[in-house]
Amino acid sequence: MKIVVAIKQVPSLADEVELNAEGTNLDFDAVDFVLNEWDEQAIEQAVLVKEAGSGAVTVIGVDATGELDGVLHTALAKGADAVAKVAGEFEPGLTSHAQARLLSSAIIDMAPDLVLTGVQAPDDLDGQLGPMLAALMDLPYVGVVNSVQVSGRTATVHKEYAGGLMAEFSVQLPAVIGIQAASQPPRYAPVSKVRQLAKTATIEEIETAEDELESGLSVRSMTRPVSVGHADMIAGDAKAVAGRIIAILNERGLI
Amino acid sequence: MLTLAEEIAFILLVVVLGGLTAVGFRGIATLVRSGRAAPPREDVPRRLMSALIDVGLQRPIFKARPVLSTFHAFIFFGFSFYFLVNVADLFEGFIPGFALAYGAGGAAGPFLGGVANLFNLVADILSVLTLVGMIAFLVRRFGMKDKRLSFNDGVLLHPGVQAGGVRRDSAIVGTFIMLHVGSRFLGQTLRLAETGKADPFMPFASLTSLAFGGLSASALSLGIHVTWWTAIGLIVCFLPYFVFSKHIHLMVAPLNLGLIKPGPRGLLDPAVPKGAPDDMAPGAAQLQDLGWPRLLDAYACIMCNRCQEVCPAHGSGRPLSPAALEVNKRYLFNHHFTSLAKGEQADIPLLAMAISPEAVWSCTTCYACVRVCPVGNEPMADIVDIRRRMIYDTAEIDSGIQGALEGIGKNGNWFGKVARTRARWAKDAGVPIKDATKEPVEYLWFVGDTASFDQRVVPLTQKVARVLSHAGVDFGILNNEERNAGNDVRRVGEEGLFEMLVEQNMKAFGKAQFKQIITTDPHSLNTLRNEYPQFGAEYPVHHYTAVLLELLEAGKLQVTEKLGRYLATYHDPCYLGRYNQGYEPPRRLLELAGMRFAEMPRNRENSYCCGAGGGQIWLGSAPAGERPAESRIREALETLSPITGDAEQLLFVVSCPKDVVMYTDAVKTSGNEGKIVVRDIIEVLEEALGLTEPAGLPDTAQVPV
Repeated sequence: MKIVVAIKQVPSLADEVELNAEGTNLDFDAVDFVLNEWDEQAIEQAVLVKEAGSGAVTVIGVDATGELDGVLHTALAKGADAVAKVAGEFEPGLTSHAQARLLSSAIIDMAPDLVLTGVQAPDDLDGQLGPMLAALMDLPYVGVVNSVQVSGRTATVHKEYAGGLMAEFSVQLPAVIGIQAASQPPRYAPVSKVRQLAKTATIEEIETAEDELESGLSVRSMTRPVSVGHADMIAGDAKAVAGRIIAILNERGLI
Repeated sequence: MLTLAEEIAFILLVVVLGGLTAVGFRGIATLVRSGRAAPPREDVPRRLMSALIDVGLQRPIFKARPVLSTFHAFIFFGFSFYFLVNVADLFEGFIPGFALAYGAGGAAGPFLGGVANLFNLVADILSVLTLVGMIAFLVRRFGMKDKRLSFNDGVLLHPGVQAGGVRRDSAIVGTFIMLHVGSRFLGQTLRLAETGKADPFMPFASLTSLAFGGLSASALSLGIHVTWWTAIGLIVCFLPYFVFSKHIHLMVAPLNLGLIKPGPRGLLDPAVPKGAPDDMAPGAAQLQDLGWPRLLDAYACIMCNRCQEVCPAHGSGRPLSPAALEVNKRYLFNHHFTSLAKGEQADIPLLAMAISPEAVWSCTTCYACVRVCPVGNEPMADIVDIRRRMIYDTAEIDSGIQGALEGIGKNGNWFGKVARTRARWAKDAGVPIKDATKEPVEYLWFVGDTASFDQRVVPLTQKVARVLSHAGVDFGILNNEERNAGNDVRRVGEEGLFEMLVEQNMKAFGKAQFKQIITTDPHSLNTLRNEYPQFGAEYPVHHYTAVLLELLEAGKLQVTEKLGRYLATYHDPCYLGRYNQGYEPPRRLLELAGMRFAEMPRNRENSYCCGAGGGQIWLGSAPAGERPAESRIREALETLSPITGDAEQLLFVVSCPKDVVMYTDAVKTSGNEGKIVVRDIIEVLEEALGLTEPAGLPDTAQVPV
């Protein structure tokens, strides 16, 4: 049972994000990168599948930030058996098309039984990566999944629908699954172990012939949401507040 | 005195049993050396010498239980002198005509006769004192059934301990001492009875000899032979038992005290020995993963349970006993002795056999157990090492602790706040606060998580800022660059995260210009002062109480109002007091503030933990039973209530952000609201300095429409 998890880093939203000078993308020099939280769920689900049966988990990503190694060491600390990255020089802000081509060309040679990835990401809210990976590798795809169980050559997955509806699918393996949430919260990755692995673990670098990184789309402009109004706070005692409310209603011609 | 047959028998006994014992002792040495390496011990001969002096004066044991310690001192002095007595008895046995009674029989001349008289007098008195001490111990254990010798429910105990092994061992050792010393004393008695003359230098033996005056010469001679054997022969027979008995403490304890960890109390040993291979797992899962000093601890332990008595986890009914941990280790050594003595690695998983996971996570790392131990054991160090491996193996981590560690890893604090909000408190401090990364300052104020984020503590942090500013102190903060200092992270066992935090904070230090560090948080103080230097960050680190005292003494702050209307007691935080000896400045400050003051029974070195340290404050579940902080509030009220007099208010004064939170809470949960008020020392001082702002809410609600 060979399980592959495709991951990527995204800008941390804990800090203020800034736009680049051209106004076409984020200023990637001014942001911190973190692992996409849905990918974190995918790693956990992969390790849970492995622990429930047998097999090995490989976590793979494209290093577009120069900081992917730390994420891969963390994946090892959580129970992945091997980690790999696509060889080459890449810039932050790779499109989903580019990610999918690079990752699928590396993953297909691993002959995986199961490919997991986060169902979406802050820079991929419409969840393109999973379906694209599946299409490029000619495998079936199920997304928005929050539980995976494998028996023989079949995976039983639970997919969430709007309104709290749940569907159970049987999927013939190999397949690509887009993970919404693992069946348990992600486990702790001890920094003691991560730091030790940083000294001892090896990250496989996978060469790929893929060099088409364009998506066919270009961003003309990226802007902050425009504020269209704000709330007025009315201070003072009850009488003053009531007076002010009446005045406002009068101004607007509502009474 | 001995017949030839007796002499041959004795020599054979010495060769056989002495040889057996030597093999056993060599096995113990091999076993202890099979533990992991520890930081090198420096200056060993001098430290051993000073340990011997301490033991000679019985200093370590008088740290607690003064009455029992006195009885121990009787036995100790008796036994120590008995080395000489036993040699003298050997001479009496093997050298015909050698006898020490009556000034060595008058044949030795006045000087040697005088020496013999002195020797006889000391031996006579100490024999009786030893017997008295031993009887007291036996009565206490078997007659009065002292509860301190039993364990809490749920404490993991080795089957041998459950089966009463410690009681049996104590009975055997007690019997041995009674027989050995009793026989020697009786032997001397019979010698005096033989001549029918009292010896003024053997008052007790002279007295008892009167009872044997009627015996025949042959009966007396037989008695002398029998008591020689039950005194001296018994020692030889007892020797091999030392290998398996807690009584070996009389040899290992001084050694253990001499080999005690160098450096400050607040510096933990590294999680893997220096120079170990990169892939070595940190901490301990198996007994032999512990450092060799931790293995030696088990042999020094006399199973007195003093550590348990002062343990806040034990005191609140939790299944942790530092004593049980040491006792279990020793029983495991005994059980696996044959293979361990050969230097083999035995399969002895600590969490299954020595201490339960729940006990491991009950420890507050308050250091009380280590401090009180009369033989220099460090059970707390075992617990930290076990946690290190549990974290590394991600086994049984409490969800609260996991959340705290994840938050600290991500944001540098455990309050779930993003890093850029860390210095938000400084905005409404009422005084400008410098950014030490932008302009040089004298003092870098390391604020810490609780003082930065806990809404109950933030107003106190702001008061400290105002008082320091009022005194003209040149200080600044690291703003959002500061990270949790890592003291409790390290004590929870997350060595990797601790190292990461040290690196992050040192990077921030590198951006700032300052000469000294000040902090209100004893936990941060401890690691900054004692552990950061190991990573290259060497700065003088001060607690705010010490700086405030300096400012008062230098006249830069002046008390304008004496606070005689308050009656206060003070709680020593573990990491300021026991770990860093910061006992006096807080007390001096209270004195200068002019308040009436009374010490709680447990103060200074013997202070009782609030229960928050070592990651306890992060634990997801609150255990049942009286919590340590509630016990402390009760203690404060028991101290202050009877002497309230005309005091308007009882105060429980603290000097640690965690204490503010813990005790404010404990006053409520113990139903003592209105009886006593928890105050940080800065509040008291602000009032005495006349700097308190006018009553009422600060005017911050004006938002323009």
